[in-house]
Amino acid sequence: MGESHSGLRRALRSEAGKGLTIVSPPLVYSLLLLAAPLATIVLLSFWTQQFLTIDRTFTFANYEEALSDPLYRELMFRSLRISGMVTLVTVVTAFPIAYFISFRVAPNRKSLWLFLITIPFWTSYLIRVFLWRVILAYDGPVNGTLLGLGIIDEPLGFILYNANAVVVTLAHAFAPFAILPIFVSLERIDRSLLEAARDLGESHAMTFFRVTLPLAMPGVLAAALIVFIPTVGDYVTPRLVGGSGGTMIANMIYAQIFDLNNRPMGATLAVLAMGTVAVISIGLILLTRLWTGPKR
Amino acid sequence: MRGGGLKVYAILYLAFLYAPIVLLPLFAFNDGTVIAFPLQGFTLEWFAALLDTPALHEATLNSLIIAVSVAILATSLGLFAARAATRYKFPGKPGILGFIMLPLVLPEVIVAISLLAVLMQLGLDSGLWTIILGHSLLCMPFSIAILQGSFANMDQSLEEAAIDLGETPLSTFRLVTFPLVLPGIIASLLICFTISLDEFIIAFFLSGNEPTLPVYLWGQLRFPARLPVVMALGTILVTLSVLLLVVAEFFRRRGLKRAGLEDTGGFL
Amino acid sequence: MKDTTPPPAIITLDDVHKYYGDYHALRGISAEIRQGEFFSLLGPSGCGKTTLLRAIAGFEDISSGHIQLNGRNMEGVPPNKRPTNMVFQSYAIFPHLSVAQNVAFGLRRTSMSGDEKKRAVAEALEMVGLKDYGRRAAHALSGGQRQRVALARALILKPKVLLLDEPLSALDKKMREQMQVELIKLQREVGITFILVTHDQEEALVMSDRIAVMFEGEIAQLDDPELLYRRPNSRRVAEFIGMMNFLPADVISVSDGRAEVEVAGLGRAELDAAQCPGGAIVGAARIGLRPESLTILFEGQSPEGGRSAEGVVEEVVYYGDMTYYDVLIDGAPNKVSVSMRNMPGRRVLERGAPAHLAWDPRAMVLFS
Ligand SMILES: Nc1ncnc2c1ncn2[C@@H]1O[C@H](COP(=O)(O)OP(=O)(O)OP(=O)(O)O)[C@@H](O)[C@H]1O
Ligand SMILES: [Mg+2]
Repeated sequence: MGESHSGLRRALRSEAGKGLTIVSPPLVYSLLLLAAPLATIVLLSFWTQQFLTIDRTFTFANYEEALSDPLYRELMFRSLRISGMVTLVTVVTAFPIAYFISFRVAPNRKSLWLFLITIPFWTSYLIRVFLWRVILAYDGPVNGTLLGLGIIDEPLGFILYNANAVVVTLAHAFAPFAILPIFVSLERIDRSLLEAARDLGESHAMTFFRVTLPLAMPGVLAAALIVFIPTVGDYVTPRLVGGSGGTMIANMIYAQIFDLNNRPMGATLAVLAMGTVAVISIGLILLTRLWTGPKR
Repeated sequence: MRGGGLKVYAILYLAFLYAPIVLLPLFAFNDGTVIAFPLQGFTLEWFAALLDTPALHEATLNSLIIAVSVAILATSLGLFAARAATRYKFPGKPGILGFIMLPLVLPEVIVAISLLAVLMQLGLDSGLWTIILGHSLLCMPFSIAILQGSFANMDQSLEEAAIDLGETPLSTFRLVTFPLVLPGIIASLLICFTISLDEFIIAFFLSGNEPTLPVYLWGQLRFPARLPVVMALGTILVTLSVLLLVVAEFFRRRGLKRAGLEDTGGFL
Repeated sequence: MKDTTPPPAIITLDDVHKYYGDYHALRGISAEIRQGEFFSLLGPSGCGKTTLLRAIAGFEDISSGHIQLNGRNMEGVPPNKRPTNMVFQSYAIFPHLSVAQNVAFGLRRTSMSGDEKKRAVAEALEMVGLKDYGRRAAHALSGGQRQRVALARALILKPKVLLLDEPLSALDKKMREQMQVELIKLQREVGITFILVTHDQEEALVMSDRIAVMFEGEIAQLDDPELLYRRPNSRRVAEFIGMMNFLPADVISVSDGRAEVEVAGLGRAELDAAQCPGGAIVGAARIGLRPESLTILFEGQSPEGGRSAEGVVEEVVYYGDMTYYDVLIDGAPNKVSVSMRNMPGRRVLERGAPAHLAWDPRAMVLFS
C-alpha cells in the first residue's frame, strides 16, 4: 500500500503530473460546462417532442425531417452561403490592412494601429449591428450621401433587409478576428527571406506571390476559420438587418426552442450545423495543407 | 510613393470600422425621436430618460454582478491554464488546451442552447448564476491568451532563482510570479468584464426573467420611440468599454516594461 | 614531489545517470569536487553540462546514482534546502525589485535583523564593485552589472558551493576577460567552491583549478589545466583543448612503461609512461604534438639535442604576434601546424620556402 502511495506521489511530482494537476481546474470546468452540454444536445437530438413531453426513445426522426424538409435545407445552405461570403469579404479586405501594418508601419506605431483596429470590436455588439441598420436604411447616411453626390436618383432599397446587409455587417463585426491572425503570420516572416527572393531576381510582385503569401497562408487560414465558424451561428445580425431573405439557421434554432417549443428539433439543427461547419473547416485545413505544404 | 495606396486604403478601412461608433453619439444627443438624418439639434433629454427607467437599473445591476463574477472566475481558471500551458509538458497537452480554447471559435448559439438543454434536462431554473457560468466559459480563452503572454514573457529562471535562494514554491509564487504577472491579471479581469458586459446570446438564452443590459437593450430595439434612449445608453456603454480597454492596454504595456521587454503587438 | 594532500571533497558524484525520456543525458558521472576549488565543466554544446549543474543544484532529479554534498546524500532534498546557490545564465535578476532588494532576496528566511541585513547587502555589493547601486531599478542595469548583482545575491548566503552556468557568455569579449579576472579574485577571497559551466576552453584553462571535460554525458578527462593541455588522454580531448598535430607512428617496443616509437617524418623517439596516457602496445599508433612544440630553425640556429627534420612551407597565416605555418615534413603523410612567435629581425617565411624543423620528444603524447 505504501508502495502505491509513494508511486502516486512520484507521479504527481513529475513534470507531467504537475502539469495535469495545474490544468485540471479549467479542464474540469470545460468538461462540465462544454463537453457535457454538447453531449446533452446530441442526446436530445435523438429524442422527439410530443406536445408537452419529450419522448425518450432513440430515433433518427428529427434528422430525417431536418434533412428532407426544404425549409431547413434552404436555411442551412443560406447560412453557409452567407458565412462563406462574409469569410471571403472579410479575409480579402483584411489582408491588405494586416500587410500594411506589418510591412509599412514603423515598429513603434504597430501596437497603436492594432489597438485602433480592435477598439470597435469591444463595443456593444448589439448596438453596432443596430447602427448598421441605421446606416443602410432607406433614409440613412449611405443613401443620403449617394443622393447628395448625384450618383443615384432615388434611395437604394436593396441594401437593407437582405443577405447583403448581413454580409456587410458581419464583415464589420469580424474584421479584427481576420486581421490579427494574418498580421501575426506576416510578422513571423523573416524579412531576409524577402530580400533573398529579390536578390535572386524576383520582382516585388512575384516575391509577394512566391514568398510572402505562401508563408502567410497559415494566418489566412486561421482568419478564415475564425470568421466562418462563428458567423454560421450568428443570431443577432440576421434578425436586425437580414429581413426575411437573410434569416439564418440560428434564428430557426431559437424559434424551435422558444417559439415552437420543439427542443429536440432545435438540438438536431444545432448538431447538424456544428457537424457541417466542422466538416467544412477540416476540409479547408486539409486543402490548405495540400496547397502550401512542401511539394514532394 | 510605395505604400501610399495602402495607407489610403487603411484609413478608409478604419473609417468603415468606426462608422457605427461615430454615429452613436450623434443620435444620442439629437433632439428628434427618429433615428435618421438630418439631425435636429442638441439635447440631453435621452440621457435624462435613462435615469428614471427602473427596469434599466435592474438590468444594469444584473450585468454588473455577472461581469464582476465572470472576471474573477474566468481569470482564476485562466491562471491555471496559462501556467500549465507555458511551464509544463504533459500528455495530451495540445488537445486539452485546444478543448479549453474551443469556445473562442464555437458559435455562441451552440454554447447557449447546449447549456440551456442541460438546465432543462436537470430541471433547473436559469438565473444570474447560469449566465455567470456560461460567460466564464466564453471568457476563459481570452483570459488564457492574455495570461499566457504574461507567463511566457517571464524568464523561467526567475522562479528557479527564488527557489535557489531558499524560498518555497508557494512563497516564490507570492514574491516573484504574482507581482510579475499582475499586470496581465488586471488586463484579463478588465477584458473578461468587458466581454461579459456586452455578451448577448448566452444571456438571451439563459436569462429567464432577470435580463442583463444587452437583453434589456434588445427588448427596447422593438419600440421605435425608445431608440433615442437606446442610443444614449449605447454611447455610455461604448465610452465605458473604450475606457476599460485603454486601462487594460496600459496595464499590459506596463507588464511588458516591468519584464524589460519591447512591445510587439496588441491583445490576442 | 608534492606532499600536500588535496583538500577533502565537498561534492561527491557517484555514477550519476539522467534520462530525459529515452534520451540518456548523463551517463555515469563520477567525480569528487574539492573544498574551495575552482572547478569547471567544459564540453561542447549538448554534452550535459547544464544538466549536471542543475542536478547538483536540485532542479533536475537524477535517474540513478548519488550526489553527496558536504557529506549528505542529496536525494529528495529540494533546491531551496541545498547549501548551493546558482548564478543563472540569464542572471535571473528580479525585474520588479531594486538592486538591493535583489541582493537581499535570500536573507528573508534568515534570522538576521534589519540592520544586519542592510550591512550584509552593502558588503556584498561592495565586494562585487557595485557600492552605490543599491537603489537602482534592476531592469536598468548593463549585462556586466547584472552579472555582479547575481553574484552578490548568491554569495551573500555564504553557500558551500556556488554554481555558475555560462555566466560570461552574454558579455562582450573585453567585459568577459575583465570578469574572468574578477571572478578568480572573488573566489580566492571568499574561499567558496565554484563550479563553472563553460564551452569556452580558454576560459576554463584561465580560471580553473581543475577541469572536467565532458562529451555526450560522460567525463572524458578530469585534471588540472596544465595536465589537461600537456597530457590529454584521448585524441578527442586533445582536439577540443587547443590545437594538436597528429602523425602516424609505430610503437616498436614497450618496457617498464617506456615506449620506443618511430614517428613518420620525424624519426625515432623514446616516450615515458606519462606520455602514454592510454598505455602503449606494440603496433600502429599516433603521436600528438602541439604547434608550439615544433620550431622552425632560422639560419645559424641548431636544434638543442640535435633532433631535426626537413619540410616545405605550404601555408602561412599571420596573426601579428604569432605566425602559423602549415609544413609538410619530408616522409610524413600529412601537414603539421607550427606556431612561431614573431620577433624583431626574424622574417616571416613564404609559401614554398624550405623549412628546417626542430622537435622535442618530451612534448609528444602517444594515442593508440
Ligand atoms: N528538459 C529536457 N528534456 C529533454 N531533453 C533535454 C532537456 N534538457 C536538456 N535536454 C537534452 O540533454 C542534452 C544535454 O543538455 P544540456 O543543457 O545539459 O547541454 P549543455 O552541455 O549545457 O549544452 P549547452 O552548451 O548548449 O548549454 C541535450 O542534448 C539536450 O537536448
Ligand atoms: Mg547549457
